Amino acid sequence: MRDLCGTAVDAAVGAGASYADARGVFKRSQSVATKNGNVEAVSDVETEGIGVRVLVDGAWGFAGAGTLSDESAREAARRACEFARAAGGGARRLAPLEPQTGIFKTRVEIDPFSISLDEKIDFCLDAEKGLARPEVKVAEAFARAQLERRVLVSSEGTDVEQELVESGAGIDATAVGDGLSQQRSYPSAFGGLSAQAGWEFVLGLRLADEAPRVGEQAAALLRAPACPAGVMDVVIDAEQVALQLHESVGHPTELDRVLGFEAAYAGTSFLHPRDCGSLRYGSEHMNVTSDPTTPSGLGTFGYDDEGVPAEPQPIVREGLLVGWMGSREVGFPGSMRADGWSRMPLVRMTNLHLEPGAATLDELIAGVERGIYVETNKSWSIDDKRLNFQFGTQIAWEIADGRLGRMLRDATYTGITPQFWGSMDAVGNRDSWRLHGLTNCGKGQPGQTAHVSHGTSPARFRGVQIGVHA
Amino acid sequence: MSAALELAGRALAHAAAAADEAEASVHSERSGLARFAGSTQHQPTLVDDTIVTVRAVRDGRVGVAVTNRTTDDGLREVAARAADASERVRADPDFPGLPEAATAANTDGYDEETAALGPAEQARLAASAIAATGDIPAYGFFTSGTTELAVASTTGLETSQRVTDATVVVLSAAESLSGYATQTSSAVSGIDPQACATEAAEKAARTSGAGQLEAGVYRAVLEPYALAEMLQYFAWDSFGALGLLEERSYLAGRIGERIFDERVSIADDGIDANGLPKAFDFEGVAKQRVPLVEDGVARGVVWDRRTAKRAGGDARTTGHAPPVTWQAYGPLAFAISMAGGDADCVDELVSAVGDGIYVTRVHYLGIVDPRGGVLTGMTRDGTFRIRDGRIAEPLVNLRFTVAVPNMLADVPALSRRVTLVNQSDFYGERYPFGALAPAIATAHFNITGSGSRPGI
Repeated sequence: MRDLCGTAVDAAVGAGASYADARGVFKRSQSVATKNGNVEAVSDVETEGIGVRVLVDGAWGFAGAGTLSDESAREAARRACEFARAAGGGARRLAPLEPQTGIFKTRVEIDPFSISLDEKIDFCLDAEKGLARPEVKVAEAFARAQLERRVLVSSEGTDVEQELVESGAGIDATAVGDGLSQQRSYPSAFGGLSAQAGWEFVLGLRLADEAPRVGEQAAALLRAPACPAGVMDVVIDAEQVALQLHESVGHPTELDRVLGFEAAYAGTSFLHPRDCGSLRYGSEHMNVTSDPTTPSGLGTFGYDDEGVPAEPQPIVREGLLVGWMGSREVGFPGSMRADGWSRMPLVRMTNLHLEPGAATLDELIAGVERGIYVETNKSWSIDDKRLNFQFGTQIAWEIADGRLGRMLRDATYTGITPQFWGSMDAVGNRDSWRLHGLTNCGKGQPGQTAHVSHGTSPARFRGVQIGVHA
Repeated sequence: MSAALELAGRALAHAAAAADEAEASVHSERSGLARFAGSTQHQPTLVDDTIVTVRAVRDGRVGVAVTNRTTDDGLREVAARAADASERVRADPDFPGLPEAATAANTDGYDEETAALGPAEQARLAASAIAATGDIPAYGFFTSGTTELAVASTTGLETSQRVTDATVVVLSAAESLSGYATQTSSAVSGIDPQACATEAAEKAARTSGAGQLEAGVYRAVLEPYALAEMLQYFAWDSFGALGLLEERSYLAGRIGERIFDERVSIADDGIDANGLPKAFDFEGVAKQRVPLVEDGVARGVVWDRRTAKRAGGDARTTGHAPPVTWQAYGPLAFAISMAGGDADCVDELVSAVGDGIYVTRVHYLGIVDPRGGVLTGMTRDGTFRIRDGRIAEPLVNLRFTVAVPNMLADVPALSRRVTLVNQSDFYGERYPFGALAPAIATAHFNITGSGSRPGI
């Protein structure tokens, strides 16, 4: 793979590129899903290819080829240069980068591909057993494993190799009755929870132990009243805080969005480049860090897809915007990632964390006179500048006089990003801080999916609009 | 014989040797996407790839493996992985066996001119869109591609189809103003990047000075761009057989009942030449036109053979099997087609609304309640107030939280013309699909908040 990348880079430079890099990527993804005691889906996907990125006369070109040969590597380089010339009119410049060499590998105790398919199926079937209730129409479990080997070679002398391993699993129970459909998930909705780790991570989730609670809550939601509407305080569980952080802090602080690169699709940002160092993003309890070095984070790497070595970057400190996630082209380099070999690297948030505070969950709840506590994402939406958001959660409980009360279904909350983060008056402590992995972050045209983790604790927000109904 | 079908045959030969039954499918793509921002092309992407999927069946157990290595070694290896998987999985009680060979409709979604477009032409077409937005910067892309799907199995099934697609998307935007337009077709001659850009720029020029709007239920006009995306999101849970069987679908328990205004008829029509036609699904089963809602009455959903077996009774496949790697999602409606009405132009819809809002495009939809068909999202790039039957002042981007059945319960008018709206964001392997939708007037569109101003 490395030799082919070198061949592509040489061919690109020979064809007139002032800069070229080539990424060789091998990816294997294996997934197992069971449903109601049967195997629902099993797949084992391997792909490999090379992606060649070039700068010709200041314009970008990119071509991906799924055939690994000297000929296809040279052809991809030639086509990338042709595309760049045709695009024309560019003035792209890259910040300097010393040539990088090195190897980075995920620390793995149990290779997830050493666990056979039948073992994974048995694991899932065992995990979903405890979900069963008369009201639970669909009980499902799933597990996944991914291996990605990447080689990056550039015309500036960078030559790095990475081997990233992911493992994940989860359970869902969907209860149906009286015209309602209610779902509970563990540890997370939309595909369970993944981490950059081996099968030991999946075993540590203890799905079978949690299944009875998950099934019972799904059934109980059918009998629960709908969340009322009103302005009140809300305590948000760590998983939902992770998605809140992802959508309303992660994406708006991606510098390519700030500069309009994503305007036609994912959108831009309410932030302006001049805001760094002066814009108040939230309350003094808000400290956010981008950190691609976090052990077991899905956004963890040794080098980004431009070869920039991983290092943490403060984004918000005591509520003040202090940094961005960017690239060698737009500034603040270190957050460029591509979805496989067939896509051009984009600015992608790495692991983005809300630093822990000092409160326990009980203390967060005890500080609410009238409000709700919400758990586990159900729906999400945010505007193109990342200002107006609306989230729904699978489950909620009333809080009255500092105590949890009755269960509520169909909880939603909405707000405007800086006001919302400005209303955060307490954050859970380090004991409640967890990594939450997302595997469905979309961006770019053609579309690219990225995996990223967010370290978060539960947090409390004052005066939030709750209960948005159709 | 096409190259993809020949490749499927080679893969099948390896797979058949180690299984009771086997199937090989090939999905190839050669595409280019010239993306632009600030009137400069900045992320041009060319993709050339071929994916081979093998299903090996042994004693009712189905092993699946996928590769893009198309050498003999690669095909031998993927066949071995599928065979090994079939040894390790349990029998799938819903597996109906591999389909027999059958005749598919003769759909023609392939265009030589589109297939011949290379990077220079793709960049030129993007440039022509950029130039047509004038002084207002352009954001978006032009893309074209050729994809081929071929399926061969030990049951004698052998089928393949090449299709082409071309799409242009233009957001014309500056500070505090933005407009949007898009066109898509199976042939590049069916789209006009300059006209698309002009539409976006003209729309943008009218959005400066956007005002606020109180939350509440409004009458509204939805352009096809907005309606198509809302129908597609509603369809994920409500128009597929798995959603029906698992009672996530709004149609669960309502087949045969009036669910929408009698002016509303919706089908899934993968073989319609006005869309992005496909002859067969990912199992090689012929696609059928499926009435979903007729004159406001729920008629059915799309099926594949697996969900039909699970349902039993009269359920039959409609030719909507997803790729095997998507099996957990069940069959999905990828060719939504909503019938038009009597209105000759959008102005008639605006007149029918009288007092309300005008929505060009929606953004970042979320499914709040699948069973209730409730969606939330934002309007974007062309939201206006309608007063006295005319389009009036521009509005900021609005948050809506809408039950689609409420939105379609009272539809005073629909445009006669239906527009093909691209619904693919081109994630993963290219599978172009779109929805045919009219513009509609609705009596019920629930605005629940306000967001950012138009523009960059």
